[in-house]
Amino acid sequence: MTENPFPLDRDDLLKAYRIMRTIREFEERLHIDFAKGDIPGFVHLYAGEEASAAGIMMHLKDNDRIASTHRGHGHCIAKGVDVHEMMAEIYGRSTGACRGKGGSMHIADLSKGMMGANGILGAGAPLACGAALAAKVRGDGGVGISFVGDGASNQGMFLESLNLAAVWNLPAIFVVENNGYAESTARDWAVAVDSYIDRASGFGLPGVTVDGTDFFAVYEAAGEIIRRAREGGGPALLECNMVRFYGHFEGDAQTYRAKGEVEAIRASRDCIKIFAERVIEAGVISRAELEAIDKEVLDLIEDAVRAAKSAPLPAPAELLTDVYVAY
Amino acid sequence: MAPVVGIIANPVSARDIRRVVANAASLQITDRANIVLRVLAALRACGVTDVLMMPEKGGIRGHVERGVVRARAHGDTPYPAIHLVDMPVTGTVADTHRAAAAMRQAGVAAIVVLGGDGTHRAVVAHCGSIPIAGISTGTNNAFPEHREPTITGLATGLAVTGKVPAPVAFAANKRIDVCVNGGELREIALVDVALVTERYIGARALYRTENFRELFVTFADPEVIGMSAIAGLLEPVARDESGGLMVRLATPEQRQAGTCGTILHAPIAPGMITPVGVTDWRRMPAGVPFVPEIKAGSIALDGEREVSFSARDRVSLTLRDDAFRTVNVGGCMRFAAQNRLLAGAPAPLPATA
Repeated sequence: MTENPFPLDRDDLLKAYRIMRTIREFEERLHIDFAKGDIPGFVHLYAGEEASAAGIMMHLKDNDRIASTHRGHGHCIAKGVDVHEMMAEIYGRSTGACRGKGGSMHIADLSKGMMGANGILGAGAPLACGAALAAKVRGDGGVGISFVGDGASNQGMFLESLNLAAVWNLPAIFVVENNGYAESTARDWAVAVDSYIDRASGFGLPGVTVDGTDFFAVYEAAGEIIRRAREGGGPALLECNMVRFYGHFEGDAQTYRAKGEVEAIRASRDCIKIFAERVIEAGVISRAELEAIDKEVLDLIEDAVRAAKSAPLPAPAELLTDVYVAY
Repeated sequence: MAPVVGIIANPVSARDIRRVVANAASLQITDRANIVLRVLAALRACGVTDVLMMPEKGGIRGHVERGVVRARAHGDTPYPAIHLVDMPVTGTVADTHRAAAAMRQAGVAAIVVLGGDGTHRAVVAHCGSIPIAGISTGTNNAFPEHREPTITGLATGLAVTGKVPAPVAFAANKRIDVCVNGGELREIALVDVALVTERYIGARALYRTENFRELFVTFADPEVIGMSAIAGLLEPVARDESGGLMVRLATPEQRQAGTCGTILHAPIAPGMITPVGVTDWRRMPAGVPFVPEIKAGSIALDGEREVSFSARDRVSLTLRDDAFRTVNVGGCMRFAAQNRLLAGAPAPLPATA
């Protein structure tokens, strides 16, 4: 076997690939099933952005907490939330991660440190500060990570959270997943400061920009940022420049995108293809091994959809349960 | 017709991991736009009426346009007309390559570059014999000298308008050509080529000194940071002398066994002074191909991992003297002073009411 040139061992490389492939197939399946009318509510797909979730979450443990976005499926899968429970949740079934009452934008699993997808833009940032404060008080070395999109970074909550994290020196990390569009509005129209790093600088936080389609770039930068936060070095911002394969939401006609744009990014900026080519070319992992994972993932998604469709809906009597937490 | 000057301002330099692993600064977009405005004012003061700028989506252009509009509202016209290169914007280094090539084709007299060593390398790869004037807005800027951009703009203006004669106005620079597998891949470096053991590109920046193995520099300057500083603290080599320096660095095993000759405390990034084990160093004459000893790893160009290679690949490095031209800012300004280029007869004061 060739010497492994990567900063992850073979098992972790395979794990990272499996995470990214699971996210991709999960989203591709939802794209089809949503169009058929099988799914209630709205879905926002993460396809194309997988390297960000995988590259960051490969460094995390269950006591590290993340607060996700409305485009949260990828974060859930990478953080270890059960795929069957996620699919059942999106299908609104009682076997879902939140017993079918939350749907796509509210999937959470606190046992995995996944504090929830979030339908309110920017609302994950203060949650991550809270988780980071808890980790700091406990002294357990945990971190709180907030994901926001380029549009949500305009929200007051997000900016207040940067301030809070800085003044309390929290182990909080703010990941701006910049796919270039706030819904349908291009960044250059809607973000006054132009650079998210400048935004962090305004609060005294260091910021790093990486190519979010390059798993290894995200992995290395996230690793240093997370290590620094665990060691008491304080908060930081990571900007992942990435691409979105689908619309803002399923059903979005995407009239704001250039003709051929999606085809071009699928051909040249597909993070999974880029990852696969690198590990195969280096002789560390064979194409057959990756194809075996592809097959297992397809079977998993198929089984998750089958199980979700056959699971019961929540009963009307459960309407008011699981809504509030009693302390 | 007055000469046209090109301007390439990189909106994403100084954004890498060294803001976390070291204390590197992060120059804001508005500051970069402000630098462009200072350069524009200086060029106009020298008689340059038109500039050709690289378009970008990082926000620099918007802030520059805002500055121009504000000046005009005051009734001032201190800036040349700004034209944009007609090209698609990808937000990657390809934009810099494309803009430099287009400016070369358009026959600009010089290109003012805002960026770090990497940005300057990207421009030099495509600008041919067009001289460049570098302004540091990156992280480890060994290549562009630190100087107020207004002065860089004045010197460029004086140089391209012929007020300073070419032999004084422009300086020759060295470059290292990197050749992989007999030309399958060709890259260049303006300051340094480092061979490191990491065999992945990842976040690119160099900061894990234990992985450094071999270093080749065009100039070795103890007054800069980064790879050139390592060489410069051993044996300074000037920008304007022939050849460079090659340095072999110790493995962790050699350091532990105490068999490396020197431990150097080198400023390899902003605020980051790190012990580096050095085994030996020697001059790197121009025109002689060097084959690195390390068999697998990454080739870092001007401080950033760019190419990974294995034992199957053949790598060679050749330093070239007189490889590209820069505006000799110090030379231009001294010439201007000696020849009173910016001095004139006093204009009569306007009559007061």
